[in-house]
Order: sequence, then C-alpha cells, then structure tokens
Amino acid sequence: MDFILLVMNSFGLLLDPLNLAYVVLGFVIGTIFAAIPGLTATLAMALLLPLTYTLNVETALMACASIYMAGMCGGSITATTINIPGAPSSMMTALDGYPMQQQGKGALALGHAAIGSMFGGAVGALLLIAVAPFVAELSLLVKTTGKFSLLAFALIVVVIAQRGRIPQAGLAACIGLMLATVGLDAMEPVTRFTFGNANLTAGVDLMPVIIGTFAIAEILVQARTPSDTTAATAAAGKHKLRRRDFIPPWSDIRRIGFRCYFKSCLIGYFVGTLPGAGGSMGSFLAYTEAVRTSPEPETFGKGNPQGIAASESANNAVCGGAMVPMLTFGIPGDPITAIMLGVLVINGIQPGPQLMSDQAGLIAPMLAALLFSAVVLIPLTLYAIGPYFIRIVSIRKDVLYAVIALLAVVGSYVATYSTFQMFMALAMGVLAFLLRRNGFPVITMLLGYILGPNLEEFLRRSLSLSNGNPLTFLTNPDSLFFVLLTLVFVYFLVIRKPADKAATPDGV
Amino acid sequence: MFSNRQLIFPTAMLALSVGYLVSALSLGTPIAESGLTPSFFPMLVGAAAILFSSLLILQQLRAPEAPDRPRDAPGHAHLWIVLAIFLYILAFRTLGYLVSSTAFVFALIVLFSSFEKPAQKALIALVVVGLGYVMFQHLFGVRLPTPWG
Repeated sequence: MDFILLVMNSFGLLLDPLNLAYVVLGFVIGTIFAAIPGLTATLAMALLLPLTYTLNVETALMACASIYMAGMCGGSITATTINIPGAPSSMMTALDGYPMQQQGKGALALGHAAIGSMFGGAVGALLLIAVAPFVAELSLLVKTTGKFSLLAFALIVVVIAQRGRIPQAGLAACIGLMLATVGLDAMEPVTRFTFGNANLTAGVDLMPVIIGTFAIAEILVQARTPSDTTAATAAAGKHKLRRRDFIPPWSDIRRIGFRCYFKSCLIGYFVGTLPGAGGSMGSFLAYTEAVRTSPEPETFGKGNPQGIAASESANNAVCGGAMVPMLTFGIPGDPITAIMLGVLVINGIQPGPQLMSDQAGLIAPMLAALLFSAVVLIPLTLYAIGPYFIRIVSIRKDVLYAVIALLAVVGSYVATYSTFQMFMALAMGVLAFLLRRNGFPVITMLLGYILGPNLEEFLRRSLSLSNGNPLTFLTNPDSLFFVLLTLVFVYFLVIRKPADKAATPDGV
Repeated sequence: MFSNRQLIFPTAMLALSVGYLVSALSLGTPIAESGLTPSFFPMLVGAAAILFSSLLILQQLRAPEAPDRPRDAPGHAHLWIVLAIFLYILAFRTLGYLVSSTAFVFALIVLFSSFEKPAQKALIALVVVGLGYVMFQHLFGVRLPTPWG
C-alpha cells in the first residue's frame, strides 16, 4: 500500500516542466522510431542511454518508461497504414488494421489501436504497481542457490523460446557470457581475457555493448536491406486522416467488449513476465484467443476491430509485465527492459528485493510515467499528430540514419570521454551485425552479457557453500522450484514442440 | 565442406569458442582447495560455445539448401559505413567534434543515398552537427573535443 501511495505521489513530479518535457519528448521520439519500419523504440532507448549520465535518475527512468510505452503502440501506425509493422509487436495488428485502411477506415483502425494500447498500458502498469512489491517480498525467499537457478532459468528460457534456431540462440548467449567474463574477476584479484589491455581491466562496458548492438548494428543492417516504402506510403496517403475519424464509436467498443480487452491485457501482462517472450508473443496469443472465443471468427483478418483491440491491448500490457522480473530480480524480459536495467545500473541502482523497499522513491516516478503515458499520452498523441502519421514514414532515410550514427558514436564517447569506448561500440556493432545476418538472436547475447556476472558469482558461491556438491541445486527448495520450472518450459517449448510457429519472439 | 558459404560463420564461431576455451584453460585449474577458481565458469562457457557451434555446423552440413535470407542491397555500403565510423573515431579527438562530425554525417548521407546535390547534403550535415553540438554541449553539458584541446 505504501508503494501505491508513493507512485500516486510521484505524479506530482510530472508537474515539473523539465520532467514533463522529457516524458513527452520520450513518447514522441518513441512513437516516431516505432512507426518507421526498421527503427525501433529499443534503438531510441539505446541512443538515450548515454544522455542519462547527465539527467537525474528519476527523469531518465521516466523518459525510458514513456519511450517503452510509445514503442509498443507506435508500431501500429505503419502496420495499419502501409501493412508494414513498425515493430514486431504490431504484427497481428496489421492483419485487421490494414484491411480497415483499404476500406477507407484507417483512422478508425488507428483509433481502436490507441484505445487498445491505452487500456493495455494502463492495466499492465496498474498490475505492475500492485504486484511488484509482493514479488519483491517473495524474492527475499530466494537464496544463493535459488538465485543461480533462477538466472539459469531465465537464460535457458530465452534460448529455447527462439524456436527453430536454438543452437544460434545458445551460441549467442555464450558470446554474451564470454563478454561478461572479460576483466577483473569478481571474487579473486585475477584479470581474465584482457590480453594486456588496461582498458579492459574493468570489463566490457555496458554502454558500447548496447549502442553497438542496437544502434550501430541497425545502421549496418539498414545499409544492406532496402526498405522502400515509397509506393505503400503514397497509396496510404490517398486516404486523408481527419482527427474526428480517430474516435471509435461507443457501439464499436461495446461490440469488442470489456472482456476481450481485459483478457488480452492479462495475457499480455503474464507473457511479459516471461523472459524473452516480448510483445509479439503477447499480441499473437491474445489475437488467437480473441479469434477462438469470437462468435464470428471468419471476420478476423478482414478488418475486425476486435483483432486490433486484442493485439494492441496485449502488447502494451507486456510493458508492465516485463518490468516485474527486471525490477525484482534484475532479469530483463526484452531488449527495452534490458536497456532500462542498464540505466539503473549506470546510476548505481541494483535491481532486486531491496530496490522496492530502500529505493522505491526512484522507481515510483517511472511507474507513474508508464501509467501517464498509457492513459494521457497515447490518446493525446493520436489526436495531436495522428493526421501526420503517414508523413513520419516519409522522413528522409539518409539524413535519419546519419543522425542516428552521429548520436550513437558520440553517445558512446559521452560516458567516459574515451575513444576506446567508441571503438568498442563499433566492434560490438560489427559483431551484432554479423550475428543478425547469420540468424542469431542478439537479445540472447545481451541477456548472457547482463546476467553473466551474477550467474557466475552465484554458481561459485553455491558450490563453495556446498563444498562443491552440485546436488545443492536440487536439495534447496527455492533452487529446486526453478529447476523444475526450467524443465516444464523445456518440455513445452522443445520436447512437445508447439505446432504453431507463426509467433516468434521479437526477433532482434 | 568449406565450399558451403553457410559454414563460414559457424566455423569462425567454433574457432572463437576454441580460442576462448584455450585462454580459459591457461587461467589455471578450475577447482582448487578453496573452491572454484576464476577459470571454472569460462571453461563451462567455452565448452557450451563449442557444443553449440558444432551443432550449428552439423545442422548446416545436413541442410540441403541454404535458408532464405533477407534481400540485400547491391554494393558494400555497410563496409563503407564501418570504415567511415572507424575513421571518424580516429579523427574525433584530433580534428575536434565540429569538423570530424560534419565530414562523417556528410559521408553517411551520401552512403545512404547518392552523391547528387552535394552542396545541399553538406548543408544538411552542417545543420545536423550544429544541432548535435547544441544538444550535447549545452543541453547535456558534455565537453566535446576541439582541435585546440
């Protein structure tokens, strides 16, 4: 209850013009990046990361929250208008959004997407605010061996969730773990894999890893992959979007039904709590459920607003869900929460049970901003800049990518004023580019890199405490729970092999 | 075996994994009387990486056809971009932010489009770099390098 009150009080911070400006700016940037095919809110967040050094932590986290929310709903713009989802999480939205656009109801489809996003974002954020303190208390029960098994569970699930490319995902995770082992050992004064380079003694810094993986690699990918949206944009431009057309009639919302919205939100929220699942999985499951329970399933895929509502409610509810393991255990659920974790770590905040009790004052404004973005900024953005959405896609790509490259390279310099970090960002960018070109999911590499140090520390501590007996992971109840949970996931995702392969996690 | 282009990357990964494991072995024995040593975890990771890269190679050898890849743009723009970033970093401290960044942004705009209308593109590069200067130096208080130190 105290935490809920703290979040409510944090809304006061939004009255500060500077905080409000960063939240609104973050939302607009997130929307633009999510709307442009090829760019993602993850990239926007990666570019913002260096700037968080100069902001106070509450403001930085509030801006991150608004980018996250905008990233989930912004993808629906191009999914609807030109049938190219700006973000993987809006893949299902395109199925019904684009047919509505073709029927001349594009504005209405975007309105339904905004209402679904608003509902999903709000429910996800409220559930997060209500649930996170309890999860944090529960996490106190997890001891050293349990912590190792939990981290191993998260990493294994992220790997096996990459159906059809598990060896690639496993190898990418190993590369992340390799990067995590560079530098001074956490428990003994021994340097590893530095090859005499003093710059590596403190390890590979988070900043170049994130900037390289998400910004520089993206620029290289875009240089190799043409994405000509000119024709589609011109076709979409024929349908003029007017502000009043964005507001869906109440009869439409009643037809979709509160039950559909709420069920999709819950699906999205719980999918969000799973490592590696992400918004696309959430929206796929919610869409499938909406089709399954609909009295007229044949209308889906032909412009049924219920499909849009289910997809968008779920993918925005993922935002709240994905933050639960990130805040309480330090386990990010997707690339964006991984970068948010980076913002926390850069500012000396260690996620975990103590975070919700000792430093709740730093986290509460972020959750308030998440709720504010969902309830206020989503509809406001649609109404204010909705008619100009299609122009976002027409932004000159050459200038855009040059700006991104400049921000990325200079951004990697900002943290330490060192050109070594710039070279590291370039090296990481080339590595991530090669991995992506060869079908390796870079999210598993990032997760391996982020979880690696704790994974190693808890493994060594657990085995030291048990005099080297590996059975300690089975004899401690908390650890056994996560071992069994891992086995359950392995059974369902690998051994049983679900028939549907349409839904893949966000494939970065 | 090596005529299959799909094998190049997994083989490089295997070489990297083997190199990593060998370096990990050089850190000493994995288990000592006091418990696990700093080489234990890297050895596990190296072994897992070798396992996964071997699996990948096997997978490629068994696969009759190469999997579909996204359509690529002709040319080697990505290689030029890597070179541009490398040169930019080298020049960043020496030439300072304004000069090096203007050249870099101009080069990237050209790489992502063409060499047509160079004056217009140079002007855009100047404006972008100027805005970047205001943002980094004045808004966020970052000390950007200048040629005079």
